[in-house]
Amino acid sequence: MKKYFPSKRDLRLKGLRLLMSDDWKEEVSKCSKCGKCHTVCPVFLETHDESSVARGRISLAEALRDQQIVYTGKLRDYVYTCKKCMRCSKVCPSDVEYEKIISALLHGVAENMGIPLLPKIIFRYILPRRILFDTLLKVSSKLQRFIPMKKRGQMRHLPLLFMGKRWIPTLAKKSALQKFRKTKKIKNPRMRVGFFTGCLINYIYVDVAEAVIEVLNKMDIEVVVPQRQLCCGTPSSTMGDVKSSKRLAEENRKVFESLELDAIVSACATCTKSIKKDYLRTLGPSWKHMSDKIYDISEFIDTFIGDMPGVKPLEEKVTYHDPCHLAWVRNISEEPRSVLKKSSRFVEMDKADGCCGGGGIFTIIHYDLTLKMLERKVDSIERSGAATVATNCPGCVMQIADGLASKNSQIKTTHSIQILQEALRESETKR
Amino acid sequence: MKLFKRKTREEALGRKGVSELVRLLGKDKVLTEIEDRLCYSYDGTKQKALPDIVIRPKTTSDVSATLKVADKQRIPVYSRGAGTGLSGGAVPLHGGIIFDLKGMNKIVNICPEDFTATVEPGVVTKHLQDEVTRHGLFYPPDPSSAAFSTIGGNVAECAGGITGLKYGVTRDYILAMEIVLPDGSVINTGRKTLRSVTGYDLTRLFVGSEGTLGIFTKITVKLIPKPERVDTLAAFFGERDDAIDAADLVVENTIVPRTLEFMDHMTISAVRGFGGITLDDNVKALLLIDIDGTGENIKHDLSIVERVCKEKNALKVKVAETEKERNAIWSVRRSISPALYNIANHKINEDVCVPRSKIKELLQKVDKINEKQEVYVASFGHIGDGNIHVNIMYTDEPGQGEIAERVVQSVMEEVVTLGGTISGEHGIGNKKSQFMELEISPQELSIMKKFKDFFDPKGIMNPGKLFPST
Repeated sequence: MKKYFPSKRDLRLKGLRLLMSDDWKEEVSKCSKCGKCHTVCPVFLETHDESSVARGRISLAEALRDQQIVYTGKLRDYVYTCKKCMRCSKVCPSDVEYEKIISALLHGVAENMGIPLLPKIIFRYILPRRILFDTLLKVSSKLQRFIPMKKRGQMRHLPLLFMGKRWIPTLAKKSALQKFRKTKKIKNPRMRVGFFTGCLINYIYVDVAEAVIEVLNKMDIEVVVPQRQLCCGTPSSTMGDVKSSKRLAEENRKVFESLELDAIVSACATCTKSIKKDYLRTLGPSWKHMSDKIYDISEFIDTFIGDMPGVKPLEEKVTYHDPCHLAWVRNISEEPRSVLKKSSRFVEMDKADGCCGGGGIFTIIHYDLTLKMLERKVDSIERSGAATVATNCPGCVMQIADGLASKNSQIKTTHSIQILQEALRESETKR
Repeated sequence: MKLFKRKTREEALGRKGVSELVRLLGKDKVLTEIEDRLCYSYDGTKQKALPDIVIRPKTTSDVSATLKVADKQRIPVYSRGAGTGLSGGAVPLHGGIIFDLKGMNKIVNICPEDFTATVEPGVVTKHLQDEVTRHGLFYPPDPSSAAFSTIGGNVAECAGGITGLKYGVTRDYILAMEIVLPDGSVINTGRKTLRSVTGYDLTRLFVGSEGTLGIFTKITVKLIPKPERVDTLAAFFGERDDAIDAADLVVENTIVPRTLEFMDHMTISAVRGFGGITLDDNVKALLLIDIDGTGENIKHDLSIVERVCKEKNALKVKVAETEKERNAIWSVRRSISPALYNIANHKINEDVCVPRSKIKELLQKVDKINEKQEVYVASFGHIGDGNIHVNIMYTDEPGQGEIAERVVQSVMEEVVTLGGTISGEHGIGNKKSQFMELEISPQELSIMKKFKDFFDPKGIMNPGKLFPST
């Protein structure tokens, strides 16, 4: 290789500055380049491009580590193409913790190429301030009524209106945090749990929050909704803004550690992954005692409540979609099914653990790929013959509902806890 | 500080050449940025060499047009499927143009009545297997990378796999091919018939040619009816020789299992405890046997296999009753690769193959190496074919690498003395080219070189592979 003198354009030599912690450097060497990640990567299965799979990105990280390349627009594009679903880590025979590598790359990109202004303002100034966030969304929820073309509670996504016909849900009039400010007291509660709402449930899917609280209350569990909780930090960490993520994590730690809780539940697969797993890295091992108490809502019900003799399953045929961050990162796929089987007529769909294509900036940057993944998912759902598709992640609910709405399908999309909520209600009225 | 140069299009082809390629193929198919080149710089051997240009062809004419340019300007050309090879076949050692054939991934047709399927080279082997299953057919070659390697790569390296004893290897299933020669001309070898003896068998010459003769753009494979079902049996032995004798005896009883896999003591101790696998301490060798066919004959064959294993002092014979048990048994086999790193953190995996009667002698040689306790050798593999994977495990400590290389050399020599071959299924690439002369005599090697010169007079196809460097 000839000696290379970087041109002025390439002199983003900040690019060679050390990233975060250095553990990713060793992780890179663990990759044996076998290519097994090809079999699961949802992006690679669409593009067949080596730069869009873990093995390719690891080789880019390797070159960065060995100071053979610098951060460029192209590199950023390739890093942003990752959906961070972590399927690759799950199947990796060499046990590479890809999350360490991709986080380091994202952070490197952010440090060297900057974060676009709008997300930066949101991460740094809005997400950490609950009141400001509330006010902004309140204004938006008032304004959204002027948006034309609404359908079954969905409306057109304005920035994306020109890219395609994307349907997104409307903002709730009152956020979940405000609605459930007061803790409903339970006499001699079996447990006292904290509810981590997450932004989507807080501002859009308030009914999911309602279902979580109602179901748990009926099981004699007291649910506290800490008012000062903030965003889990996933949006900022997916853009490499480690600083903002850390700030959010620390705030959330303060909020939840100050309360005496038996457990923390969340109904969002991504938030659960973030506060349970990612915080261990951002906050260090001192988070361990809290991390052990964090559960996905179905996981919690299946673990602590188990059989629900009083519940009569709904007549409705329901299928389940596995959110990436629950099934692949946390290995939770049996529990939600077990709960659904007790609350409905459960039918399995093929490729239930295939990605729906939703999730963060990926859907904006690679809308075409998102649509291809979504199409596969919608096909699977339709083939299953179910009347409702349930899942445990509001992000997936949003994505799948969009896919079904644009196909004019009559299949409903819901959170699996809402199925249980309905089953409980019906069982009570019948009694 | 050594930075890779971002743009080498001028160097690689001259600006005119690249612009010609872009004009011929379109911008999307010609990648020259360092980030792209890095992503196509390696394969399953972890070696790395940067190509100058990555071409992502979609059609035969894309390949042909590129090769014409490369031929005119004497630029090295490499073909790459999924980049999962284990001998370095797809590593662009001398720079130049690399074809990413993953994009040519259409199944052209499946003809159930003819028992053939024609596919493009980028089709993933598992995908082909799944698709033909729908027609009640079966494409047997099943390398352990089948879920992610491509059929083109399988043909180029003549991949084997666990079904070799009963069904043979990739070579036995390739009927016809469309091949682009280095000068850009397109030839068709073989016929899409189940037999054809017209002229020399050019197809066979190209199967296993490791990208040194031409680039496959269409491959017609032979299919067979799908066996009704597959049953699995695991036999645990206290003595290695008993296991080998039992394997022999199974075949002597005219039973040809679909798979007949063996694991030695070193492999078992690495796997024990890995991912919750439990194996008794006194188990020193293990046979995994798959029998396929119809329910009746499977039952019959299983009973004989079970009897034979017990005759040869098997500690335990377990027949999988359910799909779950079957998976549990096979998970032991699948966990070998990662589990071996429990022994040491570096691995050289040699896929040597000896006549079945010589397996014991080969393993005795391995024992001698292990007795020295310098590096450790774990052996497992397709015992039915005599294809034993000899894994030399070594650590980072100084001197270990050299010892490992010495061990490889001595294993290779032993294998050839026993009448075996230095590569049963991975191919030669650049990893084993130095050992070619052990097995192939100068005269045969020169015949091979003449073939190579005939097809590729300028030597642009995958330079640095297959032949020992002179």
